[in-house]
Amino acid sequence: MDIWFFIITMALFAAVFLFLGYLGYRKTKTAEDYFIAGGKMGPLIVAFSYGATFISAVALIGFSGIASIYGHSILWLAFLNIFVGIFIAFVVYGLRTRKMGLSLKAMTLPELLGRRFNSVKLQQTSGLIIGIFMVAYTSAVFLAIASLFQVTFGIPYWLCVVIFTLIVGIYLIIGGSYAVMWTHAVQAIVMLVGMIILTVGVYAMLGGIGPAHEAAAALTPEMLNSIGSPAATQAPNGLTSMPTFLSKPFMMVLTLIFGVGIGVLAQPQLITRYLTAKNNKALRLAVPYGGIFILLMTFTAFSIGPLCNVLMYRNNIMYPTMGSAGAIVANPDAVVPTIINDLFPAWFILIFLFAILAAAMSTAAALFQTAGAAIGRDVIEKSMKKQVTPEKSIFITRIATIAIMIATLIITLNPLDVVAYMTAFFFGLMACTFLAPYTLMLYWKKTNRLGAWIGMLGGFLFTIAWYILIYFKTAPKIIGTPLVGNYIINMLDPIFIGLPLSFLLTILFSSILKQDKEEKAIMQKTFESLSESDT
Amino acid sequence: MNLILGMDLGVFLAWIGTLLATVLCILYGLYYQFIKKSDEKRRISSSKEQDKKQEEDL
Repeated sequence: MDIWFFIITMALFAAVFLFLGYLGYRKTKTAEDYFIAGGKMGPLIVAFSYGATFISAVALIGFSGIASIYGHSILWLAFLNIFVGIFIAFVVYGLRTRKMGLSLKAMTLPELLGRRFNSVKLQQTSGLIIGIFMVAYTSAVFLAIASLFQVTFGIPYWLCVVIFTLIVGIYLIIGGSYAVMWTHAVQAIVMLVGMIILTVGVYAMLGGIGPAHEAAAALTPEMLNSIGSPAATQAPNGLTSMPTFLSKPFMMVLTLIFGVGIGVLAQPQLITRYLTAKNNKALRLAVPYGGIFILLMTFTAFSIGPLCNVLMYRNNIMYPTMGSAGAIVANPDAVVPTIINDLFPAWFILIFLFAILAAAMSTAAALFQTAGAAIGRDVIEKSMKKQVTPEKSIFITRIATIAIMIATLIITLNPLDVVAYMTAFFFGLMACTFLAPYTLMLYWKKTNRLGAWIGMLGGFLFTIAWYILIYFKTAPKIIGTPLVGNYIINMLDPIFIGLPLSFLLTILFSSILKQDKEEKAIMQKTFESLSESDT
Repeated sequence: MNLILGMDLGVFLAWIGTLLATVLCILYGLYYQFIKKSDEKRRISSSKEQDKKQEEDL
């Protein structure tokens, strides 16, 4: 593809976002405007922003690549993405979070926790955890997209990273939440167009849904071996069948499905989206838009992943690999790009690249925004002795966001192996740390400060220890050999143990001590706001 | 092995479950956009009727 054509289109793409950043800047007058777009967003923007934040380039390219190895069983994740990630998230969490956020005048998850439990230290600690680990997660997002652009266009990796960071950073820092929400809407539309064409194209090449799935089911391990597909060993029952119960492929699918599928409920960058809605009806009406958006993202991506094996087999394309002689391994991240490069027309390659770029930028913008607010508003601002004006609060967060961007840039330009695993790592870590105190805060009046502290830190420390000492992907990189050799244990996502543990600790320690007077008064006020009708 | 649309039962359940979850989201939105709204309107109009009746009785 002509590099100049790409550069011109990219410049136009960037110009639209920077213009939206400028509009956001003009509309931003208060701290509410900067952090939660004034709480004035309608259902479509909320749904698209939530969806574009949720679905990163890793989710589209990485997970469809994983589906090319483990087959259609990964569709259970698409089910959880919609049922838990949208329906449960908005109906069970979103409505109450927004009401409680309004009642406590909170604009971030740490602020919500800090004000509900009347603890500045809780807010600062939560902010610090979010800020630090979000930097690594954002690096993982940029790493994936910069590698793709480097391979496709031959643009140096460092230049891709710097350009993406600058574009996202400028419109975010200038325009705040308004700019993020509006650019998300544009990016979501680009993502929709790319994924719809890709899915229709793949199914059309294979003769429709039934014939495509039957062709995938008919691929034998020998056929898969002939193209070098790891599915030959990882999907021994066939690409359209579930793996054998408790086999290694089954554990891999199980850990992916639940790690990401349940972990979505406690993502600070997604929780902030609830607070941007203009009323609870907007949140309710965002549910169908969100459901359809995620269907067209994950359901399509996970469906076509296994079908890429059929296309590769029929067109004599070898499964992509990476590494040098002696250490060549399969590269699932390159499966969809390879199919698109080899079998789709040139005009679609550009659309698809922009869809992936949009997915990466939207997620990165939300992560920078949330991490910047976590460090600026929740940590630095709360450390100051004087009351901070709204203007100063925005200024502090802008500076913190710049610092977060520089840290992300440094890590992305010098990536450690472990950064590549941050997507799965981050979801599990946030869920085990925040989901228990966050859920119980919304639904159980007796939840108290001590319970929230112990539940949060217990879940956090357990997850970190699990990743360092036991988890099969991270432990070998850190300590060499996992402490537990049994794959049924070491392949489990920490969410299976860390989340129940965190709930147990929060409930246990909330039951031991009673709330003090001040905390009780806050609790009563917030629960009164929850019982009010939708506003 | 019996395949449904080329998928085994476990995968087919995930496939159909994903579509049904989306339908659930759509129905939820439609309910709050149209039916719930008319419920509220009905409640408002019935309370207005009650007020009118009370006024007449008085």
